[in-house]
Amino acid sequence: MNEKELEIAENIKGMLSKNLRIPEEELDYEVPLFGDGIGLDSVDSLEIIACIDSAYGVAMTGVAKEHFYNITSLTKYVVENM
Amino acid sequence: MAKDIGTRCVVTGLGLISAIGNNVDECWENALSGKTGIDKVKSVDTTDCYANLGAEVDCDSLDDIEEAKNVDRVSKLCLKASAEAWKDAGLNVDEENAERIGVIMGSCVGGVISVENYINNGENTEDINKMTIASIANHVANYIGAKGIVTNVGNACAAGAISIAYACELIRAGVADAFVVGGADAFAAVPFSGFLALHALSEEACSPFNHSNGITLGEGSGAIVVESYEHAVKRQARIYCDVLSAGISSDAHHITAPRPDGLGQMYAIRTAMEKSGLAEQDISYINAHGTGTPKNDEAEFLSIHTIFDDKNDDLTVSSTKAMVGHCLGAAGAIEAVFAIKALTENKIPPTIGYSDEDVAALSEKAGNIDFRPNDMREKEMAFVMSNSFAFGGSNASVIFSKKENGVSETETDEKIYITGMGIVSPVGNGVENYIEKVNAGYVPDATSLEANVGKEDYDKFGVKMAFYRKLDKFSIMQVISGLEALASSGVEITEENAEQLGMIIGTGDGPLTTVYEFQENISENGTISGSAFNFPNTVYNAAGGYLSIKTGMRGYNVTVTNGAQSGMSSVCYAYNEIKQNRAKLMLATGTDENSRVMNKLYGQLGMIADNAGDAYSDGSGFVLSDGSTTIALSEGVYAESSGARKYAEVAGYGMAHENVPYGEVKGSDRGLVSAINAAVSMAGISLSDIDAVYGFANGMKEVDDIEKNVYGELFEGKTPVHCIKEVTGEARAAASTLTVAHAALTLAGDITGNQKAYFVNRDGVEKTESDTTAYKYVLTTAYAVGGSYSAVVLKKCCK
Repeated sequence: MNEKELEIAENIKGMLSKNLRIPEEELDYEVPLFGDGIGLDSVDSLEIIACIDSAYGVAMTGVAKEHFYNITSLTKYVVENM
Repeated sequence: MAKDIGTRCVVTGLGLISAIGNNVDECWENALSGKTGIDKVKSVDTTDCYANLGAEVDCDSLDDIEEAKNVDRVSKLCLKASAEAWKDAGLNVDEENAERIGVIMGSCVGGVISVENYINNGENTEDINKMTIASIANHVANYIGAKGIVTNVGNACAAGAISIAYACELIRAGVADAFVVGGADAFAAVPFSGFLALHALSEEACSPFNHSNGITLGEGSGAIVVESYEHAVKRQARIYCDVLSAGISSDAHHITAPRPDGLGQMYAIRTAMEKSGLAEQDISYINAHGTGTPKNDEAEFLSIHTIFDDKNDDLTVSSTKAMVGHCLGAAGAIEAVFAIKALTENKIPPTIGYSDEDVAALSEKAGNIDFRPNDMREKEMAFVMSNSFAFGGSNASVIFSKKENGVSETETDEKIYITGMGIVSPVGNGVENYIEKVNAGYVPDATSLEANVGKEDYDKFGVKMAFYRKLDKFSIMQVISGLEALASSGVEITEENAEQLGMIIGTGDGPLTTVYEFQENISENGTISGSAFNFPNTVYNAAGGYLSIKTGMRGYNVTVTNGAQSGMSSVCYAYNEIKQNRAKLMLATGTDENSRVMNKLYGQLGMIADNAGDAYSDGSGFVLSDGSTTIALSEGVYAESSGARKYAEVAGYGMAHENVPYGEVKGSDRGLVSAINAAVSMAGISLSDIDAVYGFANGMKEVDDIEKNVYGELFEGKTPVHCIKEVTGEARAAASTLTVAHAALTLAGDITGNQKAYFVNRDGVEKTESDTTAYKYVLTTAYAVGGSYSAVVLKKCCK
């Protein structure tokens, strides 16, 4: 990740921790967010979509699942669609 | 042995207000003609929102009732419908019958408009007492003069239906003759914003069992007078129909979504039919929950088809939500009124909004079932059903009948025992810790106390991060105390017993902190900014829903809310469920939260003490606290078979109300007297048999004086009174359940020897110590602002 990507990744990590109450120590950029990883569900994905829209103006409604896989994939999608 | 308690319960009064009318006749006429009440929302700012439709009430006479002049809109709506039902029933309350008449009202979001007003319009103190659900039934009780059992059901969108079921249970238990029941909710920013965030609102008018692309929110109230047949006949009342039985269950699946396989819904429907003595072919009409969300409609469609296909060739189903919107806690009551009108007039209102193509598509998937599109239908009917399903996985099904139909309701003569408990409190978590602190004479040294739940608790009960991070403090406290109570009761939940295990959650203020914070956010950032993550926690039954999901308990699951006494009324309610053979084990709980928000609100009301002091010290306030206490109640044979320890026997209970302005307790002494007399009478003992009282004094003069007056009168200052709030503070519902737990621990010998006590009289109080070892019968009591009281008599178990 370059500096800009790292900044966005860190922001997303902070948002996941604050808005979805995931302990910071459980989060790194690669850990899978859904399924057997952190265990997020469809309601959490709505919160992620709302937060990313609010922070970066990037709409993720209807976007394919793989972009929500982890913080790295979310960051990549944001960077490519800003 | 089980005895028949099939007392006939009948409907003698109806009241209704919704977007399609301000009384029953208007609503009914418009429902039959398929008139929609859905239009652009006026009362909530929908700027930038993808949906902007709602079904709002248009009524300029809501303030005509004196009691409605200074209350939240939810209570105005409820009073309007209740006044109509009450007048319709023609039931007069006097000193002779007032204690046998009660009020049970359901709501989802309660006085959330007052939360909005408070935040947006200068933080006025007068808004504070209007914020919770608790006040609603109190206002109705004051209006009609009821002095019996007064409470509210907080099971979100099933609340209105559950209120009807609970009233019938209490009438069949013989503790009441008549109730005004129903539900109310007002159109408000919090639910609109929350459902918007969940993408659960439809852009077009909702289209149940058709396009199923989301709900349209509505508002309103339905009210029903339910009374025993004997009571109705004696006063020559006009009888609309019988209420047969009901089924109530929990999905134990997801906090917002129904089980896709419909298991919980089907258990509720089948239980209602079985206990009503009916088979599938007997049901002529179902007023469906029919919200119009894809998940609800798919699950409900599946449930109805699974149960009725090939067994009923003349079943009609419709969803009146297509016209009145989803009125949340009012929905079950409004739809029950529609179902009763359908039954008694042999006319079925349609689900509107079908095009010709939609009708063709419907006929392909509906099979033999008439999902009535667009036009009303006339047919002779004998039995109709109203279904309500809610957030938290809460399911309720109620059946109405044109004629007597021997319901198979029974009552066990088995004794009911406290077989487990769980405690989350500011003195630490766990029953053993509590005993240790009490035996060591612990007293708090601050005037605002908070319990903490953390890693140690999660690890102890195997609660994973993916689960607990979803919960607010209100819910996580409840889950931890519930898990401890279950563990100490030695219960293993299996597929075989999951539906025999239930819970009654009691709370005074519910998730008010989460509601307040949700509103703060949207007040600052707009309706569009609601949090999908936090919204599910704004419903009062979220805590019970999470506990059900975590444990797999799929039986009876209801949240009751009427002030601090809710944590003791939950014990009364749970006792009745076991007594009436709906469960083998019930959890009875009390949970309330202290927080930045609660501290601010109680502080502004002037209720927080300057210093932590003794009970009966004529203080101006109390130590504000929080926590969660859960008690496991078990039927005797079940307790024996599971090898559970019996802490104490629940020998009797009583609940009563005395009309005082909501927010006050002064002048409500007779309510406490009535509750105590009822509990002692049910226990089959006299007041002189009571060895000690575990009371509700919290150091605030207005509250403590009630005890001084009443115990002085009933016990003449000769019976020791113990005050557990001197240890844990005024934790409201958590404290009232803890009062029962503490008394049970004393009878069981876990809390030992001499305990601090008072001899309490109207003119004075003597502080002393009392040797608890010889106690056989103890009385526990609890109060609520607004004048509602609960009392429970516990009996020592023989070794």
